[in-house]
Amino acid sequence: MPKVLIVDDEKHIRLLYAEELEEEGYEVAVASDGSGILERIEKEKPDVIILDIKMVSSNGLDVLQEIRNKFYNLPVILCSAYGSYKVDIKSIAADAYVVKSSDLTELKKKIAQVLETTVPI
Amino acid sequence: MKFQEDNPSGITKADLVVGIPSYNEASNIAYPTEQACLGLKDYFKDLDSVIINCDNSSTDGTGKAFRDTDSHGIPQMYVSTPRGIRGRGNNVKNLLRKVLELDAKAAVIIDASLKSITPLWIKNLAEPVFKDFAFVAPLYVRHKYDGTITNNIAYPLTRSLYGRRVRQPIGGDFGLSGKMAGIFLKSPLWDEDVSQFGIDIWMTTIAVNEGVPICQAFLGKPKISKPRDPTLEVGTMFRQMVITMFNLMGVFHDKWATTKWSKPTAIFGFGIGDVEAPPAIKVSKDKLYIKFREGFNNHWDVYRSMFSSENIQKIREIASLDIDHFEMPIPVWARVLFDCAIGYHKKTLDRGKLIDILVPLYYGMTLSFVNKTEGMSHQQAEEYLEDMCLVFEQSKPYLTYRWSQ
Repeated sequence: MPKVLIVDDEKHIRLLYAEELEEEGYEVAVASDGSGILERIEKEKPDVIILDIKMVSSNGLDVLQEIRNKFYNLPVILCSAYGSYKVDIKSIAADAYVVKSSDLTELKKKIAQVLETTVPI
Repeated sequence: MKFQEDNPSGITKADLVVGIPSYNEASNIAYPTEQACLGLKDYFKDLDSVIINCDNSSTDGTGKAFRDTDSHGIPQMYVSTPRGIRGRGNNVKNLLRKVLELDAKAAVIIDASLKSITPLWIKNLAEPVFKDFAFVAPLYVRHKYDGTITNNIAYPLTRSLYGRRVRQPIGGDFGLSGKMAGIFLKSPLWDEDVSQFGIDIWMTTIAVNEGVPICQAFLGKPKISKPRDPTLEVGTMFRQMVITMFNLMGVFHDKWATTKWSKPTAIFGFGIGDVEAPPAIKVSKDKLYIKFREGFNNHWDVYRSMFSSENIQKIREIASLDIDHFEMPIPVWARVLFDCAIGYHKKTLDRGKLIDILVPLYYGMTLSFVNKTEGMSHQQAEEYLEDMCLVFEQSKPYLTYRWSQ
């Protein structure tokens, strides 16, 4: 099954997402911030990353640029409590943007969608 | 095609080339030339750079205006197509030749009529190439009614067909690697429309289908060049751009037929301070409505033979709407474009006529976009456009099915 890397500084979010996504059959890895993200990706080899934006020790939008410059086609879904970051030009580099909710239907839908995306490579 | 060349500094090698395609831009070319030279001097001083005016043998003294501009020590070259040979694409082709001859690692193409370019544009369009991106498309701040061909056709169609989100696929200002220049130049897909205004969508489409890493460079300022009324912008450029898109759909059928949804590109160019707001653009809704209605009345018989039954019923319904309630539902617009592409591919109608019948519907779509977004901020309009692209992506099975029938 595809592997999802969850990058979020809130422990309860990591637990909630991990539990729900594992129930869906995904393999899950977690990280509490974006530091050392490139090494983490090399190690975990995720198929998709769920990335928080407002984290205590890192800015998810900067982490996204780091990821995109090295892993051009790796799907990244920005997942934030705030919809307002969608207006930030940096968010364009994400595959999708989801506003956090206790109902993970939208997030799961986006994960499925980015995983089935096929483009000329 | 042989070209005329003036190379006073005897340049035979360069790391970075800036090219300015032009035709009769004597009154405009000095400004982008000087800004580009400052960009090369300020941000790439360790590289060997050259600036080249790629011209169509302008008769208004464009070449002289270019040569007379203070280039701040950057060597200048002038190349031109022979007299009588016109076309932006021909100028770009000459530039690509020079990029290969000079063995350049990177090239930047900018419009000759730019009034808002700063030296930073050169940095942001060229630097990603030195970070291994093969093609760099511009990201401007644009008014929601600026670039209606881009918003209603080029962006949603390119994105939904080939799966890469390039927001300004016909922006006109690009960066590319020397290797990409070679791919473009050796392509067997050059034709008359590409040699004219089809060149921009052609380069973007080829780059996307090559699967090379693409970057969008944020330029921080609006693109201001020659003023244009969106109501009147349909003409040669529209025709050549649409025909080029439809031609390439035939060439890259295997690619788009297997493409599903879309992916982003990398973004470059942050931290450039305050972003300048784009100038307001006035749109005449009355003119758009009249042009739609006239076209609908003139081409109704053709529409009936061209479009699917579900679409034709909707188009008739839309034509009965008054101006204030006028709306072209996005699924209908997506299917109109898809039906036209299929008609072009299957030659069910003379290809020139096909573009004629599309134009009024494009005016209708533009009016619909204006009605939908007139109360929206720039950002809200962008989100509306993103939703529009999603509808195109969702509607793609309609195209795939009907294309193969």
